[in-house]
Amino acid sequence: MRRLGLAAVMIALAFGASARDLTVVAGGGPLQDHMRRTLFQPFAAANGIAVADTAYDYNVGPIRAMVRAGNVTWDVVLVEAPDLVQGCDDGMFERIDWSVVDRQKFLPGGTSECGAGAIGWGVSVFYDNHRHANGPASFAEFWDVARFPGRRAMRRGARMTMEIALLSDGVAMADVYPLLATPEGQRRAFARLDQLRPSLMFWSGGQQPIELINAGEVDYAFGFVGRTANAIRAGAPLALRWETLLYTYDFWAVVRGSEHTAMAMRLIESLTDEAPLLALSAAWPVNPVTASVARNPALLAANPLMMSNHVDGALRMDTEFWLEHGSDLEQRFTAWLNR
Amino acid sequence: MARRHNRLAALLLAPLLLLLCGSFFIPVARILVTAVADPELSEALPRTAALLRGWDGQGPPPEPVFVAIGEELAAALRDRRIGRVAQRLNFEQSGMRSLLLRTARAGVTSRAALVALDARWGAPETWTLLRGAAGPATGLYLLRALDLVRSPDGAIQPVPKDDALYRTLFLRTLWIALVVTAICVVLAYPVAAVLAGLPPRWSRIGMLLVLVPFWTSVLVRTTAWFVLLQREGPLNAALVALGLVDQPVQLIGTRFAVVLAMVHVLLPFAILPAYSVMKRIDPALMRAAASLGAPGWWRFLAIHLPLSLPGVAAGAAFVFLLSAGYFITPALLGGPQDQMVASFIAFFMNQTVNWGMASALACLLLAMAGAVLALARGLLPGVLSGRFRA
Repeated sequence: MRRLGLAAVMIALAFGASARDLTVVAGGGPLQDHMRRTLFQPFAAANGIAVADTAYDYNVGPIRAMVRAGNVTWDVVLVEAPDLVQGCDDGMFERIDWSVVDRQKFLPGGTSECGAGAIGWGVSVFYDNHRHANGPASFAEFWDVARFPGRRAMRRGARMTMEIALLSDGVAMADVYPLLATPEGQRRAFARLDQLRPSLMFWSGGQQPIELINAGEVDYAFGFVGRTANAIRAGAPLALRWETLLYTYDFWAVVRGSEHTAMAMRLIESLTDEAPLLALSAAWPVNPVTASVARNPALLAANPLMMSNHVDGALRMDTEFWLEHGSDLEQRFTAWLNR
Repeated sequence: MARRHNRLAALLLAPLLLLLCGSFFIPVARILVTAVADPELSEALPRTAALLRGWDGQGPPPEPVFVAIGEELAAALRDRRIGRVAQRLNFEQSGMRSLLLRTARAGVTSRAALVALDARWGAPETWTLLRGAAGPATGLYLLRALDLVRSPDGAIQPVPKDDALYRTLFLRTLWIALVVTAICVVLAYPVAAVLAGLPPRWSRIGMLLVLVPFWTSVLVRTTAWFVLLQREGPLNAALVALGLVDQPVQLIGTRFAVVLAMVHVLLPFAILPAYSVMKRIDPALMRAAASLGAPGWWRFLAIHLPLSLPGVAAGAAFVFLLSAGYFITPALLGGPQDQMVASFIAFFMNQTVNWGMASALACLLLAMAGAVLALARGLLPGVLSGRFRA
């Protein structure tokens, strides 16, 4: 009898171990540590379940492989907008259950079929203001090597680069994407890049622009505002030019075939709720896509470096444009780089 | 008796063969298949694909094709299977993604309605493109990886000059790999010879000096070079202090930095095989030559060099193969004109999730590396097969 009881316990333990915890996947780093404390664990405690979290590098290849193989081990993932839309068309992500997640609470453009807006991010010009008291405050000035001599760092890729090449040429924000969809617009952007080329260096990893500026490799850089803002908070003497902001949102999505789909939807509702997001923003000034937090006057006033303070009048990157023209433009851009 | 021995040998070899199959032949074969497979259209739109395969390609396709594609696109959108076929066609012809999605959303199923929705449905090129993607195989990715495209009439032609990229990339990868290999061999030879000639205690210490960096992460060593070479780094400071240059030199983002760091990272792969072969050269041979009156340089050329060549060749092959697939070092230390094929394989694999293109590049890289090794084997038959003269 005792033996039977022991066997039963062991079987129960074995099953307990094989049931997978609800798993959230984000970009890692200190932000994820704060998310764990302010978003994931409070939800786990409130629902009496375990929530595990792990980090990935925003490469959706593994998610695609997971869904194709029918072996889904991630439930809720923080994804970039183009990957979200493409993955949604592909059936890589579940449709968001808008009866569980309140669709009204997001900023305009903060939701899509398979995603609920998580955090905003952007890119802008910055420089070391110990080396340069004055720096380019627009893309026309970023291109003006006579007024601002010195080397510039830009992202090695067409996305974000083609846009600013046209902006530097006096193209109005509203016309950037329609123009970039035409051969003339693309020629014009590459012609602008040709002009700046002798002064250009290119970065590929998000931390590189700050390293390049710190090391004095370049004088002016175009890089992620989140990283620059963090460096400034840590005391780096950087000037961040919000006038040159381009931004977009990342989204929470549920991996298709997740065994925890229902719970995952509830988690997303909680991840995008005002109270947890205010707690997260107090610890780490992210840029929530939940309207009441993104427009919370006290939060904005307390965090002048929060991107949400500066998005009015900034260019929002066009996800559909890049899905349509990305493969062509990235190839042409790389070919241009290699000439 | 002999047969039983053979069976036993086969049995003993079986795990090795299984391992080789599982970890080498099957994955490589799968990469080859992925490079030419074209399943997206026939998976998402099976009826359309079947009809298109039966279509002669003359004039507009018959009405049932329009009906099939209209219905199947709407169904694929509903069941969310449309993304891959949209991406596949958009890769070949920019603009196809929005055309497919718009048509699927409109849910129209007749020739007149499709053409009214978008004039491209009336153009023969659209249908030629779709027929070309109806599977089961395509040369699209392999051609693109060689900067070639198939024009609507079926002729193979180079891509527009502004889009040409991959041939340069392969030649550059080959060149960097050969330069790194040559430098590694030249640097490794004396090091290995000295280590092999030292008394055991000193040779162990020497080996440790080779192995400690060898065990350090490639990323760490590459980052260390970034610190050393940067504009305000120690190397530039030394150059300026010595008065060799007036201003700090740009080293990061240059081919020089890439080759330097790659040589540093890969040097142990050249030293170790050379060392192990040199260690086994019988010192009695050298003494015998000396006793017969051969001077030092002659003993080296006639005995030490030929006997050590297999180790050198093995090291060179290691270094060449590893550097042909290099990725981190060029990404961190190189400029845009120093990127190699491997970084593009990773780009297609992880970022745009275009496995066909990633596989095509991988196949060509494999073919290139194989061709170089075969050529080296052909040019230096004695060295690589071990039939050296002594």
